[in-house]
Formats: sequence, C-alpha cells, structure tokens
Amino acid sequence: MVIGSGSARMGLRDLVKRSSGISRSGETSRARTVSISRRRLSRQYYILTHAGKLVFASGENEQVQSLMGVAQALVSIYAAEDDRPRSIIRGKSRISFLLKAPLYLFCVSDWGEPEHVLRTHLEYIHLQVLSIVTSTQLAKAFQRRSNFDLSRLLEGTEHFLHTLIKRAQHDFSYLTSSLEPLRMAPSLREAAAAALMPPAKFRDLLYVLLIASGRIVTLLRPRKHSIHPSDLHLLLNTLAASPTLTSSETWIPICFPKFNPAGYVHAYISPVTEDITLVFISADREAFNDLQGWKDIVVEKLARDQTLSRISQAIPLHSYSVSAVSLPGLYHFIYKSRQSIQITAPSWEPPYDGAARDRLITLYQHLHDSLHAKAGQAEPLRLVYVKTQHEACLGWMTKPFELYMAVSPHLSKAAVVSAANAVATFMSKEEARVFIKDAPVF
Amino acid sequence: MSRTTSFKLVLLGESAVGKSSLVLRFVRNEFSDFRESTIGAAFLTQTVELNETTSIKFEIWDTAGQERYKSLAPIYFRNSNAAVIVYDITQPPDTSFEKAKSWVKELQRQADPSIVIMLVGNKLDMESSRKTPRELGERFAEEEGLLFTEASAKSGDGVEELFMEIAKKLPLAPPPQRTLAKGVKVQGKAEETPSACNC
Ligand SMILES: Nc1nc2c(ncn2[C@@H]2O[C@H](COP(=O)(O)OP(=O)(O)OP(=O)(O)O)[C@@H](O)[C@H]2O)c(=O)[nH]1
Ligand SMILES: [Mg+2]
Repeated sequence: MVIGSGSARMGLRDLVKRSSGISRSGETSRARTVSISRRRLSRQYYILTHAGKLVFASGENEQVQSLMGVAQALVSIYAAEDDRPRSIIRGKSRISFLLKAPLYLFCVSDWGEPEHVLRTHLEYIHLQVLSIVTSTQLAKAFQRRSNFDLSRLLEGTEHFLHTLIKRAQHDFSYLTSSLEPLRMAPSLREAAAAALMPPAKFRDLLYVLLIASGRIVTLLRPRKHSIHPSDLHLLLNTLAASPTLTSSETWIPICFPKFNPAGYVHAYISPVTEDITLVFISADREAFNDLQGWKDIVVEKLARDQTLSRISQAIPLHSYSVSAVSLPGLYHFIYKSRQSIQITAPSWEPPYDGAARDRLITLYQHLHDSLHAKAGQAEPLRLVYVKTQHEACLGWMTKPFELYMAVSPHLSKAAVVSAANAVATFMSKEEARVFIKDAPVF
Repeated sequence: MSRTTSFKLVLLGESAVGKSSLVLRFVRNEFSDFRESTIGAAFLTQTVELNETTSIKFEIWDTAGQERYKSLAPIYFRNSNAAVIVYDITQPPDTSFEKAKSWVKELQRQADPSIVIMLVGNKLDMESSRKTPRELGERFAEEEGLLFTEASAKSGDGVEELFMEIAKKLPLAPPPQRTLAKGVKVQGKAEETPSACNC
C-alpha cells in the first residue's frame, strides 16, 4: 500500500482505521448478520468526481454531507493505489467504494451482504454511466477541466441509474451476470428467431433482439461477436427507465462498455405492440432508414403464424410458483445455467416479501460468495449450507449449473440434499422453456 | 383522392423547450406536464391535407436537446426539407433563444440550402411569465429569412398552424436528389428522397 508522505494524511488514515476497522478485499465477513430479520434500510449510492463534485446520489438524505467527509478521507488514502475496491465498516454499515478515474463510486449499506455484492452494484452503476457518456467523452471532458461538472452531461438520465439500482437489489441476474429470458415454448422462440434473421447486406448490424414486457424473447448476433450480459442489462434498463422509448420509434446512441467502452453503437427501437419491442443494434449511425425498412418485413413475418400474439400470451405465464416442483418444504430457488449464462427462479411468494426477501437474497449472496471465493477464500466451495431460524439454504455448484435454494429449517440434511437433486431434475426438464438455446448467429 | 408527398422535418432546440410536446400535440393531440427528456431522437409521422388534391406527410425527427447529443444532430438535419427550431418564451433571451439562434446558424452552414426553417417561441400559455419578447424572435426571423410563430404545446394554440405554414412553403414537385455532403456514406436509396404516390 502506497501512502502519501504528509503526516496529516497518515493521521487521517490511522483515524479511519481506528474508528471503523478497515476490511480489505482479502477478509471475509461471512454470515455476519445472516440471521437478523429486521427491515434493511435502502442502500445509498453516490457518484463523485475526483475533484469531489457530487454527480449522483440515489436518495436525498442528510447522510451525503457526512459521507463526503469519509469519502474524501478514503480517496486521499487510496488515491495513489490501483482501482481495487475497498470497503470499511462504520457502525452497522458497510461503506464500499470503487475508483474508476475520473469517478469515485460509493455505496452505504446495512444489509450485511458480502463485499463483492456492493462492488458489483457499483460496477454496474459505472457501466450505466458509460452507456450514456463514453469513456472517451469522459476523459476528454475531464482533461479540459479537472473540476468538470459531469451532472450536466448526465442530465435527464438520473432515472436510468435509479432504475438500475432498484432492479439490482433483488434481481440475481445482476450478481451472476446472466440473463433471465421470457419463459415460453421452445418452438415459439425458434419461430421468433427465424423471423429476425437479418439479410446479409446489413454489415454493421451487431445484435437483433425481441423484447416482451422487458424480457428477452430471443437474441441474434454475428458469429464473430459474443454479447456480454452486462451490456444487455444496460440496454434493458434503459428501456425500462424510459417509457417513451417504447411508445414511438427511436434511434439512440448507446455505449456497450463490454463491447467497446470508447464509442457508441446505435439502437433502433421500435414498439411492435404495447408489450413487444424490436431492437436492432448497429455500428453505423446512418443505418436508421435501412433498419426501419427491414423492420416492416420482420413484423410481417412475426405476425404470420400468430407468432406475435402467441408471444403476448406467453407474457403473463412467465412467472411460475415454486409449487411447480411439488416438493414439500421447498421455499424458493435460483438456478443458473453456467453454460448459457442464464438464470431462472420462481416468483417471490409469501413469506418472501419485504424484510424476509431482503434476508433471503442476502443469504443467497453469501452462498454465492462462498461458491465463487469472492472474498478471497482459499478455495471455492462446491456445496454450502447455512441455516437460520427461518430457513435452511443450500448453494450448490456443478459444472452445468449453480443452484441457490431455500427450504424449511426443519428438513434433515439428507432431505435438503434430495430436495436439491429434485430441483436439478425439474430444471433439466424445464431448461428448454426457461432458457434461450442455440439462438441463431448471422 | 389526393396525392401525398413526404417531407422530412427535424425539431431542434435546447432541452425542455417543448420540442417533444409540440410534436406529440401535432401527431397525437396529446400533452403531458411531465414529459421525460428525449434520448437520441424519436421518429414520428403525420399527414396533413393541404388542399383537395394534395396531402403532405411529415416524417419528423424529434431530437434530444441535451448537450451530449449535440454532435449527432447532423444525421437528423442533413436530409431534412424543413426544420422547426424551438425556444422557450418564459426563459430570458440569453438562454434557449440564444441557442435557437445558434441552431439557425448551424443549419445555414451545414443543412441543405433549400431547407425551410421555422422559428417557434413555445409556452405561449405562460404569457404572464414571458421573458423573451415576441419582437426579438420576429426581428431575428425576418433578418434571417425564417418563418416565425409563437405557440403553446400545452393549449395547442398555433401548433397545427405552424406545421401547415411549413407545408405551404414546401416545394410540391419532388425536390431533386440532394448532393450528399462530404464524408457521408452514400446510400442511394429511393426512399431517401420525398416520394410521391397516387393513392
Ligand atoms: N406550460 C407549458 N409547458 C410546456 C409546453 N411545452 C412543453 N412544456 C413542458 O416543458 C417540459 C419539457 O418539454 P419537452 O417537450 O419534454 O421538451 P423537449 O424540448 O422535448 O426536451 P428534450 O427532449 O430534453 O430536448 C415538459 O415538462 C412539458 O410539459 C407549453 O407549451 N406550455
Ligand atoms: Mg424531447
């Protein structure tokens, strides 16, 4: 660790250390508060520039001022270091921060989650900012004036960040960097994909997506480019945050940082029905007219064989109950296909709303942390079992899947293991409906 | 039975002056007090009847006024037959009106020379909080040879009329294929030029 030579800085560092106990990435804080069933406070997120200007705050609160002090202290201590995330514990809260020059991102949370959860949130927030203002634009603006007011460039997009934050709280697809497509008959998904196959002349076409009620129906990509799930999250967020985007045809510049953080691609967004939206992503900013012309052909194909109306009918059937597995004592689960990087989960049912849902999500996050050795554990685990007074949770990693499962705390360990096997069997039958398999490439 | 000619129209102006509101009043006869800022640009169409034999179909680009999109504006105005440049009369002239003037200059430099430009002072329903006098807009429009009006997307006053006035100024014979600016990808598309159809 490199520390500035000034003694004032040294003193500050000691102060922060003494008053709060710095927890570096290497330290686990596993299961610290897992059994607490209080209602957690909303996490607070902040973006500051390296000159200390506040760019974004997720909630209006009195904390901002006091946090700014801590922020400045942390920044001055770690300024010379790499961009590895840090966090400190202050009272009941964890303050996590991420340096992505010229920005600093902070999160204050009292949920008792593993550190990497907040880091993931902060990374997503940073990516969402880049989707609006590319890294090139950022660098340029701050080169010109180091105290540049970034909030001006982000004007009108605060709701993108608010929407992202809201979704990231309970949606495991962020933490696992995966997708949750619309559940439907595989033949219907194939019919949709066939209608979306682009003509060869669109050389700059990157991705073709059909989205129903905010979920991906199918997704086509060029053979030479894969698509990163976090880029898709940014796109889906942008759509979710902006109802007008799905009310008339639009042509928007958007940066997909995992594809290319330095530049924009262009999204042609066309509402097909009230719930169904077509999105064509092109690298060519002049492609609007061509894509618009092609859209008419696609829509005509989709309307044939009732594909469109069958997709509409699939929307309300997306959610399923955990009772579909018909396993007494099974409360909830999240299943991730590691090969297709997609997840599925039954809907949240009582008692998992409010505080109980926050608690279960946090438990799952600890399981995830252990399965992936995110907190620097010596070795990732294959199987993790945690029991609280409310439920027993199992995390299970195999080659094809990851499973996070909550069951009655009264089940024996053997019963828990056989429940996990039952879910795995159930999912192997359901995979074709819940995941996109073999989406065509062009 | 009338002949329909399509023309491209672009709206430009600072954020929050009411570009989207004017378009949605014109196209859908809607207004909302809480409209979100446009991202990128929205594409809408509306057909008006000029007289018994002629209809005009406007293909409208409602662009975003936010600063970060500034460099993309040429993709929208380059092929436009008409531009509506909007400012907010309830703001002092050195803000959105000044911005409107700079859009006019930019179009004069970069757009097709035959482009019809209409300058619009919006939010006329808020006459009591007016900060930019009508004469300023009027005088500037006269000097630069632009159409001019004041309107209110909220009340609807003057909205339809402003588009009709533009329609009357547009050349009804399909304009000749434009020569495309340097560095622009030539697409040579039939639908690039206003098309006439007998229907
Ligand atoms: N009183 C009044 N308010 C208006 C009028 N037109 C628009 N507004 C309001 O002004 C605000 C901005 O309007 P928009 O139409 O979104 O402005 P815009 O020019 O499209 O803004 P950008 O999309 O950010 O470029 C909205 O809250 C509208 O309700 C008007 O004629 N009168
Ligand atoms: Mg707008």
